[in-house]
Amino acid sequence: MKKTKIRTRNICFQYHKKQILKNISVEFPKGEISAIAGPSGSGKSSFLIVLNRLWEEIDGVNVTGKVEIELNGQMQDIYSGRIDIRQLRRKVSIVFQQPNPLPMSIFKNVAFPLNLAGLKDRERISREVESALKKVHLWDEVKDRLKEDGRLLSGGQQQRLCLARTLVMRPEVLLLDEPTASLDARTAEAIEQLLIQLKSRCTIVMVTHYQDQIQRIADSHFEVVNGNLINR
Amino acid sequence: MAEIFGKTPVPGSGEMGKRTLLEHLFTIAALVSAVLTGAVFVFLAVFAIPLIKNGLFFQLLFSNWLPQQHLYGIYPMLAASTMLASLSLALSFPVSLFTSFFITAVAPRQLRMVLLYIVRFMTGIPTVVYSFAALFLLVPLMRAILGRGSGMSILTAVPVLSLLIAPTMIIFFVNSFQRIPSSTILAADSLGATPVQKVLYVIVPQAWPGILNGLLLGLGRAIGDTMVSLMLAGNSPTVPQSLADSARTLTAHIGLVLAFDFDSMEFKSVFVSGLVLYVSTAIIMSIFRITSTISTGRRK
Repeated sequence: MKKTKIRTRNICFQYHKKQILKNISVEFPKGEISAIAGPSGSGKSSFLIVLNRLWEEIDGVNVTGKVEIELNGQMQDIYSGRIDIRQLRRKVSIVFQQPNPLPMSIFKNVAFPLNLAGLKDRERISREVESALKKVHLWDEVKDRLKEDGRLLSGGQQQRLCLARTLVMRPEVLLLDEPTASLDARTAEAIEQLLIQLKSRCTIVMVTHYQDQIQRIADSHFEVVNGNLINR
Repeated sequence: MAEIFGKTPVPGSGEMGKRTLLEHLFTIAALVSAVLTGAVFVFLAVFAIPLIKNGLFFQLLFSNWLPQQHLYGIYPMLAASTMLASLSLALSFPVSLFTSFFITAVAPRQLRMVLLYIVRFMTGIPTVVYSFAALFLLVPLMRAILGRGSGMSILTAVPVLSLLIAPTMIIFFVNSFQRIPSSTILAADSLGATPVQKVLYVIVPQAWPGILNGLLLGLGRAIGDTMVSLMLAGNSPTVPQSLADSARTLTAHIGLVLAFDFDSMEFKSVFVSGLVLYVSTAIIMSIFRITSTISTGRRK
């Protein structure tokens, strides 16, 4: 029997009092890729930010319900007062649909989460950055210009940079919002292969519009219909 | 595309005529502002030229104000203005910056709205009200603390001037922070950044040209303010030796000697004071503009 990694109970999501998601109760198995599909504006991305409490940083959003995630081997209510929200976001990391590199160099963009976590060892940081950039197939393209501003990269490169920035944190859950939307076919395929490899140490919840992608890499498939999440 | 950007007006049509008229109005408004600013400089320069020719300009600039000895120098006022403005800025800048950080990155939404409302309200309070309140509240307190004099001193004027310039700087800083794309802030949040880390690594690197410009605006207000220094600094036309001394700023000096005879040396010192204020503000403005242009160029 599959072990549950994420469990939600009666999740309701309101944006400026408009109901986006209604009473979503769902379970995502550990070590699998769960894909969420649905029409634009149906609330797929909203659901992702419920899972790491990022909605709390956005004005006008209100969420009710319960989310439990297995973290450090234990099922934990992420909305309980005991949870360190910053640790939660490092363990349950998100990559947005629109790449959002920080206003710093390519190297510093990937090293940033390590610096935030208090890592000081420069050699180790360099190794981690290189490893993450190699995983997302960006290293060869940027290895000679690591000091350049990350915002100067192309859209597809920025998206891979943001993925590398997330992977460097070694998350337990990876939330991906259309991760391959801005990538060419060859790079998208390489990223899909990477996601399949990541399953062994990371549970992935992915929003995607591509049915063929769901069939290629997803272990389970959900769809947002009228604010509800339905298992297909 | 036409649906998004609207239709292009056809030449000769009424809409085109309206647009041309508006463009002319905008151009005239911009020209009037520029010409008026230039006219002020020309006015001051024309009256200062005879003084410069006679070598009186620099004498007025660097000598003391001792009318009984026929010395009409504005050096004490220059020193007082510099001291008061720089001390007020030194006190107000960190407070304004930290308040802006708090409003932007730490305060819950409701509190943020309340604080912004208060700060905006503060910018609308006339300076004479601040000074009047301080005259009755702060001056007696300073008199008691200092144990001498009237209680009017640089030390009395500095906190009030700091309070006066803070709201302008806070609004400017908050606006420059809010121009940072929300996706960038959310990226830092998603990586588990604390509010302090967000401020240090994301907000400040992006907003520092705005911070510099806010600082400039604050300095401009501090140098240009008349009422606080006139009512609270004591107006003694001597070079202040300590913060507890009474002092007269350039702006207060202009206000005080305007009643003198037009041909008197006292009155002529007004033009030197005005020119010094004008040129010093222009120099500070230019330095900050160049700095922020360089920084913006580098970031691109």
